[in-house]
Amino acid sequence: MSRESLLVATLVELADSLVDNFDVIDVLTLLSDRCVEAVDVDAAGVMLLSPGGELQYVASSSDSMRVLELFQIQTDEGPCVDCLRDGNAIVNRELIAPDERWPRFTPRALELGFQSVHCLPMRLRGQTIGALNLFRTELGFLDDQDVLVAQALADVATIAILQHQSSIAAVTLNEQLNRALTSRIIIEQAKGMISESMRCNMDDAFAMLRAHSRNHNLGLTSVANAVVSGALNPHGLDVPKAKTRS
Amino acid sequence: MANDRLVDIFALMARYEREGANEGSLCMVAAEITELSGAAIALLPPDADMTSMGASNKVATQLMDLEITLGEGPCNDACRREDAVEETDLVKNNGDRWVFYTPQAIAFGARAVFAFPVRIGVVRLGALSLYRDSRGSLTYEQASSGYLMASVIGRAILAMQAGASGGALAAELEREATFDFAIHQAAGMLAVQGSTNVGEALVLLRTHAFATDTPISTLATRVIARETSFDREKGMWLDETG
Repeated sequence: MSRESLLVATLVELADSLVDNFDVIDVLTLLSDRCVEAVDVDAAGVMLLSPGGELQYVASSSDSMRVLELFQIQTDEGPCVDCLRDGNAIVNRELIAPDERWPRFTPRALELGFQSVHCLPMRLRGQTIGALNLFRTELGFLDDQDVLVAQALADVATIAILQHQSSIAAVTLNEQLNRALTSRIIIEQAKGMISESMRCNMDDAFAMLRAHSRNHNLGLTSVANAVVSGALNPHGLDVPKAKTRS
Repeated sequence: MANDRLVDIFALMARYEREGANEGSLCMVAAEITELSGAAIALLPPDADMTSMGASNKVATQLMDLEITLGEGPCNDACRREDAVEETDLVKNNGDRWVFYTPQAIAFGARAVFAFPVRIGVVRLGALSLYRDSRGSLTYEQASSGYLMASVIGRAILAMQAGASGGALAAELEREATFDFAIHQAAGMLAVQGSTNVGEALVLLRTHAFATDTPISTLATRVIARETSFDREKGMWLDETG
């Protein structure tokens, strides 16, 4: 699939998400996955600002424990913190240790094989909701086109989140963010349950949640909710056909 | 990133703890941080009725007792919902929202009421109830503070259920990240190992962390790495590292 086709497909899916089964985690996981496919990066993730003002991990293209740890560190230091504090995108920042600025983040990122990092703000009309974080394993830089594409995808996702209205009442930004964070917790709780029940790792557990959610046209959070509340037995989850995630 | 509001909350909690913490302390912190007239915390144990965990002043106590008696009101609603509940003018909007609660709440001195669900993922612990003696909605900042306070209260409730003393909560909670994916994954695993729900699993995790003087995030990582697990039949934790 050409990049153009991929982007068109992504934009269509993001627009669709506004109408059916809106799930912030679904939208942001889609955004992360498509960034990895469309732009020359190897991992992508999104951190959102909690109602309290803290950056928290919400979605990524990879659910491996070590990548999640990298996002965990970014609550306190790292590209996302700097990007939001200074208000500027961080592009093509090469990772070199030791790093005074990011003493915990940089060594961990290097350990994972990442050589450069990028961070794009997610904001609309002065309202910032979080940041899109991109990682590359190869040396070299993202070109301007790649950055534009990533920012455009981030902007569309931002609009989707900010403009979403539930069918019952207008959802405020605080509520939207709070729900996203709660959803993430539910998904992590579900992953744990699936991992233990099915004796698989967390990556595979997440893949099962996703496969089931797609096959049955259900929101990711709603499937996770069903698993954690006991309504859906992990053994009853669809098994993904092929492992496409990094 | 030092989050000012979170820092303020812990500073306030620590101050009250130094002055002799009691059930009302967390509520006083909540009222101060949201700049409202008073606060109370409702607990919702599984399969049981709502109870009070304390209040910051007499009016807040009266409002909470009223809700518990009537089974109606903002806190009752918040215990069942995802989002915060808001009534900006009890006098003007005296419709059929809370038919019995409203006139009594006004008589006690409340004009506007708000309630934030206290939950951790699917685990519903209760709600944070706030009131103001004048009408008006919450500012964006106040709503943010409400959500943040609710998340701190959630963690505080779990910590207390696991045996933490009310007098050292601030330090305990400050040590941990607000969101640690490992803790939630571990809770999911423990829920299956212990044949229980995730709420109980979180308490189980925290209790063992206290008992072994281990930071909860470290224990969670060990659970995920399958270095330790909970054996339901034996009713104890097993160490796989030998």
